[in-house]
Amino acid sequence: MYGFERIVKARMQRRIGPPLLQPFYDFLKLAQKRQMLVHSAHAFLGIMHFVALWFALAVLLLGSDLILVIFLHLLATALLLLAAYSTRSVFSHLGANRLAISVLAYEPVLILIAVAIFMLTGSFNASAAFNHSTPLLYQMPLAFVALLLVLPIKLKKSPFDVAEAHQEVTGGVELEFSGLFFEAVYTAKWLDYVFCYTLVYLFAGNNIILGIGLMLFTFLYLNALDNSTARVNYKQMLRFSLGVSFSLALINLLINSLL
Amino acid sequence: MNLSSYRKKSPWILHYNAGGCNGCDIEILACLGPKYDIERFGMINTGNPKQSDILLVTGPVTKRSRERLVEIYAQMPEPKVVIACGACASTGGVFRGMYNCEGGIDQYIPVDVYVCGCGTRPEQIIDGVVQALAILEQKSKDMESSVRLNKQAVTENEQLNRRHVAAEIAPIA
Repeated sequence: MYGFERIVKARMQRRIGPPLLQPFYDFLKLAQKRQMLVHSAHAFLGIMHFVALWFALAVLLLGSDLILVIFLHLLATALLLLAAYSTRSVFSHLGANRLAISVLAYEPVLILIAVAIFMLTGSFNASAAFNHSTPLLYQMPLAFVALLLVLPIKLKKSPFDVAEAHQEVTGGVELEFSGLFFEAVYTAKWLDYVFCYTLVYLFAGNNIILGIGLMLFTFLYLNALDNSTARVNYKQMLRFSLGVSFSLALINLLINSLL
Repeated sequence: MNLSSYRKKSPWILHYNAGGCNGCDIEILACLGPKYDIERFGMINTGNPKQSDILLVTGPVTKRSRERLVEIYAQMPEPKVVIACGACASTGGVFRGMYNCEGGIDQYIPVDVYVCGCGTRPEQIIDGVVQALAILEQKSKDMESSVRLNKQAVTENEQLNRRHVAAEIAPIA
């Protein structure tokens, strides 16, 4: 999916773009680089970030507790933050600060969405949302809009890519990883994609065609947004996320509880 | 499936300007643009030495930038390839012999490919990078082969005698 996205991005910029399997070529190449460690705890935390993300994704796909999923994802991000803070690189610290702020921006919205799903289905389990007869999209459209507004922050897309900002902090938290250990962080990004699109799929209930349509829509929306906007600074991001997305999710929650 | 054929399909480029006039830098950026689009070959301009394979240097090495150049080179994990991009980086160009710079980057770090021109054409840069890919593949093969097997056995005559070496050092009067 990541390879496909790079092609779409290149086509939007009138370029041809890399081959579809390019992420896998990168993957194989990184495995063959000679290892360079900053220190062992740093590399260990990077790999644990990858493992924790697998756990979050597994719990979500197996249809278990949504709150648990969100906190496992938070744990994975926190491990990456710790890894970034454990080095002495300034850019790494800057990236970690920015990542912490972006977590502050999207996490409350996700939790409110999970609560809204609980109000509708009567259960925090993701399987309840997967098996819900009417798609959640029709019952809580505002929550979907709120999710669409925080997804760019979570996937580090422009205009909310302050955490990764290649031109400013050259990748931020992933700066000090190299070789095999960067591979863990790089692959964790693909997992993040799967995670986010599964969250989108939750809104379709048991309607598979609608789910695929929603995922396609989100894909096009994210890429169009990424290519057409410039980066905002972290204050604007935080203000926008907590002002607009959070209040949308809150209004959605109020409407759901009143109905 | 031959995994080793993938190693030259994703070269990540680190671009460093060692005090040049930005002429070559603009041509490098033109390579990334829609007309030449080197991302077709899987190349990314990373900006991070720890994750890149090819070091693309422009400009004569000014005395301010030479320590950074060596430090960046040291931070790149092997296998790595260095391209001297443009006349200045190869030989010093028009700045050769001036008080504030050195003649070319090969005085400080080993260079694998020299790309000529002032400033270089994007086609030449792409050609240089493609040549560098062959060297990169060779280097990564060398990393895997055993060094010890190629080494000749030391004969008695070639060994340095410690006493002969010490005899040449005159005692301090």
